[in-house]
Amino acid sequence: MAVWGARLRGIWLFYRGVAPALLLISAALLLVMQLPVLVQLPGVREGRVSGVPPGLVLAKLLSGLAVWYLANELRPQQYWFYYNLGLSRAWLWGGVAVLDGSLFMAAAEIIARLWP
Amino acid sequence: MKNNYLTGGPHVLEADGIRVLFDGRPVLTDIYLRVQTGQIVGLLGRNGSGKSTLLQTIFGARPVPDASVRVNGRRAVPAFQTPGLLNYLPQAAALPASLPLGRAARLLQVDAEAATANFPELRPQLAGFLHELSGGSARLLQALLLLHAPTAFSLLDEPFSGVMPLHVEALAREMQALKVRKGLVITDHRYEAVLAVSDVVYLLHQGRLRQLAADPWPELRDYGYVPA
Repeated sequence: MAVWGARLRGIWLFYRGVAPALLLISAALLLVMQLPVLVQLPGVREGRVSGVPPGLVLAKLLSGLAVWYLANELRPQQYWFYYNLGLSRAWLWGGVAVLDGSLFMAAAEIIARLWP
Repeated sequence: MKNNYLTGGPHVLEADGIRVLFDGRPVLTDIYLRVQTGQIVGLLGRNGSGKSTLLQTIFGARPVPDASVRVNGRRAVPAFQTPGLLNYLPQAAALPASLPLGRAARLLQVDAEAATANFPELRPQLAGFLHELSGGSARLLQALLLLHAPTAFSLLDEPFSGVMPLHVEALAREMQALKVRKGLVITDHRYEAVLAVSDVVYLLHQGRLRQLAADPWPELRDYGYVPA
């Protein structure tokens, strides 16, 4: 139990390390999604589909891959501490995908409902 | 998940079948290394001979096809994912820069007070961060935390690097005391410190691992690791 407690805290710690970049990208993507509504372009509301647009999800996925690549290239030594907690890269990035993906989808859904 | 390696024992860690090529050049071939609870294994070799690569492969951070790491005869690959089995001190920082040292110790399930019992000057540093320490103090503290972590084995890559002589001796005494419940593999270019503390010494030479005799000096000279 203590082992898994430490591992979950490790995943959270790792997420905190990459969260600034991921959250900034999420905010930028959500802003771009809402830009037509915010500037009230004529005819935009008629053409919009409800929910989170697939293009937005795709953009988030691609930006996540870019962050993963850059983190591996620029900070390859960061993993040693997590390995010593028993966490592989797959566990770390899987945790990041779940946490960041959930946060992003929730934010996109809320924004889509607030400004349909 | 249960940590089965803190009880019972002694435990035996064996690694073999490790073969690593860099740009087609064999760095490690036909490696066999064995360490057991109560034993300190010293690993010596020239710069670039593959000592760190070997430790990282045993640890499991460097996937190598056909590599076999066994504990008490049972396969454990990647070894670092087995709770309580082993930890690894890399040459780079082993702790995150953004985490206070005391919290890092708790995550590693280490009693930081006990780990620094013989190094009271390090105690006040536990509230701070790794980058606030001198290179030698940072190295010493990381080695102590991993030594005191609840694992059956520790692989230490240059634990004495940058550490002042007084602390090198104290760290060696710490290793001797902890080997009662652990198996240790250490590699460092401070070969006199390594030889003083090791029960078994291996030399990594031209990709092959050779276990040296009880008096390792003649072979170390023959293989050109120490001056003739």
